[in-house]
Amino acid sequence: MNPRVGIIGIGQSAFRAKRDDASYPDLVREATKLAMEDAKLEFDDIEAIVYSLSPDAMVGIGNAERLGIDAVGARNKRFLRINTGGATGISSVAAAYYHVAAGACDVVLTAGADKVGECGDSQTVLNKIWDPIYERPLPLGTITMLAMSAIRYMHKYGMTEEDMAQVVVKNRWQAAKNPKAHLRKQTTVDEVFASRMISWPVKLFDCCPQSSGGGAMVLASEKYIKDRKLDAVWITGVGHCSETYYIGDRMGRGYTADHADAYALEHSFKRAYQMAGITDPRRQIHVAELYAPFSNTEFHSIEAAGLAKLGESPAMMREGDFRIGGAIPVNPSGGVLCTNAIAVTAMIRVAEIALQVAGRAGEHQVKGAKLGVAIGYCGDHQFFGTMVVEA
Amino acid sequence: MAYRVQTGVIGAAIMPHITGDERALEEILYDVTQEALRDAGLTIEDIDGIVVGANDQYDGRAISIMMASGSVGGVDRDILSTPSGGEHAFVMGALRVACGQYRTQLVLAWSPTEASSLAEVQRLAADPYFHRRLPQDELGAHAMQATALQAAVPGVDGLAQKVLEKNRRNGAKAYPDMVGNGPLPGPIRYPLAPEMSAAPVTGAVALVLASADFARERGREAAWIAGMGWATEPAFIGDRKLTEAPALQEAARQAYAEAGITNPVGAIDLAEVADPTPYQELLAYEALGLAPRANWAAKLGDGTFGPGGSLPVNLSGGALSLNPVYCTGLIRIAEIARQVLGRAGPHQHKNAATGLAHAASGDAMQYNTVVILRREQGVSA
Repeated sequence: MNPRVGIIGIGQSAFRAKRDDASYPDLVREATKLAMEDAKLEFDDIEAIVYSLSPDAMVGIGNAERLGIDAVGARNKRFLRINTGGATGISSVAAAYYHVAAGACDVVLTAGADKVGECGDSQTVLNKIWDPIYERPLPLGTITMLAMSAIRYMHKYGMTEEDMAQVVVKNRWQAAKNPKAHLRKQTTVDEVFASRMISWPVKLFDCCPQSSGGGAMVLASEKYIKDRKLDAVWITGVGHCSETYYIGDRMGRGYTADHADAYALEHSFKRAYQMAGITDPRRQIHVAELYAPFSNTEFHSIEAAGLAKLGESPAMMREGDFRIGGAIPVNPSGGVLCTNAIAVTAMIRVAEIALQVAGRAGEHQVKGAKLGVAIGYCGDHQFFGTMVVEA
Repeated sequence: MAYRVQTGVIGAAIMPHITGDERALEEILYDVTQEALRDAGLTIEDIDGIVVGANDQYDGRAISIMMASGSVGGVDRDILSTPSGGEHAFVMGALRVACGQYRTQLVLAWSPTEASSLAEVQRLAADPYFHRRLPQDELGAHAMQATALQAAVPGVDGLAQKVLEKNRRNGAKAYPDMVGNGPLPGPIRYPLAPEMSAAPVTGAVALVLASADFARERGREAAWIAGMGWATEPAFIGDRKLTEAPALQEAARQAYAEAGITNPVGAIDLAEVADPTPYQELLAYEALGLAPRANWAAKLGDGTFGPGGSLPVNLSGGALSLNPVYCTGLIRIAEIARQVLGRAGPHQHKNAATGLAHAASGDAMQYNTVVILRREQGVSA
């Protein structure tokens, strides 16, 4: 029996394209302050800090976590940083979880922020994730990479560009209910089709924005929570899984994994489900926040999560199964498609699920949600982290 | 607090100075991983998860962990990265075993030297508005700490010279092929002459951690984690009093409390401590409770910290002998693990029942990690 670790505080910025009113450490402090207020704690109560920051180049500062030390109140305390690219946020929550679950600490803060909206061009930074000799010159970016995945998925399972647009329409409709989301304007399939082509079949509206803002969460041991009679929701499943580095290993003759299916994503879910005792995800899971920075990838995530059979999620999307009010609402916050401050994006997935199962999500609350799942993606569709949260 | 599951190091591989071959970084990581697994008597199939200490800026990549996944066995495994320090990968790996979710973890860090200028890479870590225009790298920060100690401790330069000579002699014995002709001198940073630091070299290090149950099932000896502490100084170097090391004191306090050590003198058989320059090693003596500054001269004079002394420090020669910058911290832990396991090689200490490793990263020992390893297994919660 794994020890229970609870979430007792959540803070997230109202994400925007630019936050030129706040420096990078200011944004970290903003989210930290919100989480500390939510947890009703003082810094003296925090025993350790896990700092959530993906590529340093996004904020233009090397080892930028060092500049955030004071913003998270870490002076003379346990402090370390996690970077697993886009999955960093969920990996940081996992790292904080391990601090508590191991018995090292009772109360741990995880926090971070990003200024993707002010980095110049995130795709230039993200091109540097590939091998400098073989794949970097292609020129790959996360958009072109996932456009290739979309083409493969279309070929294999018959997804259409309209199916992709349906994801955008759903997520924007949901983001309109979430005051923290960056893109909150509702849209239509026609508008998605009319938006600029970025990398076929991915159009501008199929892409996430570049957001600035911060996120923070406070985790505590079951004993600490019970002794103080605190409100908490519980992390019951944690898992990560990686594929190979080279994107060329996922396509062409002799590929080791199919770029449309993402077996490592599925294995990441399996690990977390096994720990949480989930055997029938479609029946047991009430709500999901699935990292999907491009509309097409939401289909992979839904299927890897076991919420639909392989290739069946586009039809279910058309039926409205994944909307708030549908069978299993996916990304009720609007998801990554409407907000992406990379360093904390995957943390916000966990935070949103925690708010949902606590019944604190506000206008985008999924009725009766008691168990939810969150996931983060990293790199060239390579690395995945999953977490199950229960009331 | 007590950890849920007793965790130990069952294997380690140290490559403190890699030269003269054409291997790509991925090949080096494959080799160091395989060597650590052989030392642990395992194959990659036995590994439940991996934590790497990977620094994007040194590697010239974004999300450096991605590159490592194939060569260290990360495919289809649970792998994390701690870019704040190689030693933080050890902390994370230990916590992952200690929580009971994993029975084994592979932990590794590496430090290439292909970046056109490590000093420029480190300068990018400065605040972009106030400090970046200062030509300050990490060695520059260590040098400021040396200047502060010169003002606070009369005669400290002579003591620093003794530390330097001790570590270089140790290094020549421990790694004769690598340190035999003396390490390449580092750059000048006032008041440090070039020989007061060692030039950066390419290196890699890997450790295999396992739970007590796993080690027993496989019949593997372990260097058991008796205590572990880690803490950071504040963000800005200007907010610190560089003649003191409160974060190291705090990390030591955590580790000693867990290990049940009230006075480290007499309780610890040997130590590996951060020594980017000799001045940091001196400061570590005090912050770790091994010798207050008033006793530095006496302890260095009577050979306490030398190879035949009662508490040898940096028998490996430390970073003053071999300086693969980003992985020097994890190497300190690996050196103590190999000592406690009795597999340290030419510099094996005859009595290494309890060892202390201190790792530091950043400007003038900003991040500090202290790990106590013991031959004798303790009791878990």
